[in-house]
Amino acid sequence: MKLMNSNRPITTIQVMAVIISTIIGIGILSIPRYMAEAGDSGAPLVTASGVPVAFLGCWFTAVVCRKFPNETLFVFSRRLLGTWLADIFSMLISLFFAFSAGITMRQFGEVCVAVVFKKTPIEVVILLMLLLVALSIRRNIVKFTYVHVFYLPFILLSAIAIILVAMRNVDVLNLLPLTGNHTTFSSFSKGTITSAGLYQGTFVIILLVPLMKKPQQILKAGTIALGIIGFIYVMIVWVTLGMFGAQETKLLSYPTLEAARSISIGAGLLERFDALFIIIWVISIFTTIFTNYYLAAYSLQQVLRHKDHRLISSFLLPLIFTFSLLPRNIFQVYSFASITAIIGLIFLTFYPLLLWLVSLIRNKGAISHE
Amino acid sequence: MQNWKQKYTSFKHKPARKESSAQDNRPVKPLDSSLESNISFIQQVFGEDSDLIVRNFKVYGRHDAAIIFFSSVVDQNQIQNYVLKPLMNVSSDLSEIPKDLKDLPDYIWSMTVQVTQGNRTKDLNTLASILLEGNVVLIIDGMDQALYFNLRKIEHRSIEQPQTEQVIRGSRDGFIENLESNISLLRYRLQTPDFRVVTAPLGVRTRSKVAVCYIEGIADPGLVQKVMRRLSAINVDGILDAGYIEQFIEDHPLSPFPQVQPTERPDKSIASLLEGRVIILVDGSPFCLIVPALFNQFFQTMDDYTERFVVGSLLRMIRLIALLFSLFFPALYVSIISFNPELLPTEFAVAITGARAGVPFPAVLEVLIMEVFMEVLREATIRLPQMIGGALSIVGVLVIGQAAVAAGLASPTTVVVVAITTIGSFATPAYNAAISSRMLRFPLIILAGCFGLYGVMLGTIVIVNHLLFLESFGVPYMTPFVPTIWKDLKDSIVRVPLWWMRSRPSFLNTPDPDLLANDIPKKHTDLIFKEKSEADE
Repeated sequence: MKLMNSNRPITTIQVMAVIISTIIGIGILSIPRYMAEAGDSGAPLVTASGVPVAFLGCWFTAVVCRKFPNETLFVFSRRLLGTWLADIFSMLISLFFAFSAGITMRQFGEVCVAVVFKKTPIEVVILLMLLLVALSIRRNIVKFTYVHVFYLPFILLSAIAIILVAMRNVDVLNLLPLTGNHTTFSSFSKGTITSAGLYQGTFVIILLVPLMKKPQQILKAGTIALGIIGFIYVMIVWVTLGMFGAQETKLLSYPTLEAARSISIGAGLLERFDALFIIIWVISIFTTIFTNYYLAAYSLQQVLRHKDHRLISSFLLPLIFTFSLLPRNIFQVYSFASITAIIGLIFLTFYPLLLWLVSLIRNKGAISHE
Repeated sequence: MQNWKQKYTSFKHKPARKESSAQDNRPVKPLDSSLESNISFIQQVFGEDSDLIVRNFKVYGRHDAAIIFFSSVVDQNQIQNYVLKPLMNVSSDLSEIPKDLKDLPDYIWSMTVQVTQGNRTKDLNTLASILLEGNVVLIIDGMDQALYFNLRKIEHRSIEQPQTEQVIRGSRDGFIENLESNISLLRYRLQTPDFRVVTAPLGVRTRSKVAVCYIEGIADPGLVQKVMRRLSAINVDGILDAGYIEQFIEDHPLSPFPQVQPTERPDKSIASLLEGRVIILVDGSPFCLIVPALFNQFFQTMDDYTERFVVGSLLRMIRLIALLFSLFFPALYVSIISFNPELLPTEFAVAITGARAGVPFPAVLEVLIMEVFMEVLREATIRLPQMIGGALSIVGVLVIGQAAVAAGLASPTTVVVVAITTIGSFATPAYNAAISSRMLRFPLIILAGCFGLYGVMLGTIVIVNHLLFLESFGVPYMTPFVPTIWKDLKDSIVRVPLWWMRSRPSFLNTPDPDLLANDIPKKHTDLIFKEKSEADE
């Protein structure tokens, strides 16, 4: 088994791990609230409806990357669209992910300051985490994958543990009717978009495809990963809603955290799940920002045609820090976040679609294996 | 004996340093026909060295000759009996002895001298290093070559139990300083013709013999080449211990984690050879270096394999827990006490707070002071004579701990935490890995004191990421956990039954991956089951 010397060392399971640990992040704390606002007791359904929408973007990206299994999107987009146009788009990708990293950081900081460190200035919380990420991204993509693979079991196991333990407290009445009371199409579809906006991390596959052992399996990896994350999100919404009911969930700013707080196993064996939850949540935020920052640095490096992304990552640090300080208060944070999510959803769905269509029209790319 | 640099010249970073007078890559200086001038040349090289012995005599009573040797590195008894005695024996039939000086060396070698190893040289310059290696040089007046015989004898201690790696069940012999004895310990356990020992001197001045051992057909040739190249790039004055070599060949010198595993145990070395690793022995060091070394190895001992697998696996898990304890426990304590006391059950939190009531310092300072004291105590115990060391450490901990609590300097809980941490770090079998976790817990305590659980979490992520980025001879450090190799997880945190481990670690790229021959039943239990059913019939 050629493991070390192969120049395509990343396996399909590792790609799945990267996608899952990238996507599970900041959204998990507040998604029950958004979903309850959109669908009332139909929140699990709203959450689930976001998955197919998110899958579109994943599908387009996977299909177009699969056509060019030896190059990253930044390289082949130049041939498809022309250097200038492709570079502008790559630049936008970089900006988007830098901004997304900044906003995620800010949301993270807000939660930390509100819940755990009431006296610590938010800038310190953000800067420490950013420094940590900036130190960690100075490695190649294979090591980037290793980091995700290592943390994934912790993230998944803690999420599953909380779901399983919380299930005892679920009151099924809270979840009826399944479609929610007075759900309108507009609020439902708004919820769908919000839910779908949580899955932008799938775009990370553009980095991994050129290093995959079997690039043809990228779509499979993306689909399974989205399935697993979708399942976890739906379960978390289901459990939180089942515990608190739709009306109360709407009032809680971090319903998942409250759910973790209210559960316990045994007679005081483990009373406080929220500590465990916060610890693991810091990891999942780290992996999310890690990917966003890496994507931002990598795409900027491609645009500038610099030889490695380390220097560029250092220059991005103050930029991302600035982005994270842009919103003036917590309300602005959330409006920024939802706008970013929607822009991201549109951009990261239609840009790969555009590339795919162009590649079909111009009939470029390696032989498609379908 | 060739030089590493001559063998592997392809990988030179820097031009070799100007070699000293004892080196052998100077132009050939042929032997003078006069015995006197040859001797005076050698005496000039070594100056006033009092252990350089020149003994003049007549070979077969005819030719003027001299033997030269260092009395400190040769066996003088053997010189007397097997070199001097036959050469000075004039009673035998002198007519057989060739008259011609040209045929004399062959005759001496084949008929007279009774020594197993020897050679001849025509170069005066090489004689210096030949003498230092423990050879006896024979120069005959008028002959254009010098004969030399290896009668090296170095005093060394006997084989004892390894001091740093003791086992309950397993062999009791450990490496000693003498390279030959160490290789004999390996050969004795590994009787395969594929066992290779490649030896060459390293260190411009010390010329320490360094042996690279591997099993041909099991070790990855690429790995062996890599080891040789890294060794050949070493260019220093002295190699005094295997630890010197370790620092020159490791992948990441700045990392706190060891990427080469030292061991004193021959059985452990053999086990790693059989896995496809390469080991490096240095003359003068009782430690052998195993490369590549991964995180996985540092909580494994020979006991895990000699004990039955359930016990072995449990012990391993306990050691891993101990390692994690020694790293995280004080930091977690500090952060929970100072930032999140609500995480503790209420009664316990009250008890701790009550105990801490009289302590004037914040928790982080208290723990830091106690931990530093503990480290000082531990370091002191190493320097103390063995007879009182053990007594002092126990007494020291008890007395200082008790006194600190009584004086209100520390709370009892802190003493407990510090004690658990220290004991935890002793449970790690690899001393160097234990040190790294001991040292890393200090930044974690400080982070905990500043930022609470969040700080501990950030510190942990830094450490874990660092571990994930590390490599040892090209193998990712956290293999087989990440990148995940399911097959090799059989011998990681758990140790599955030996008959289930059917292949060598695949990350070592061994050319011969099968550990067990194919005709052995798949499961050991199959055979026993068969025996039972036969008995029933």
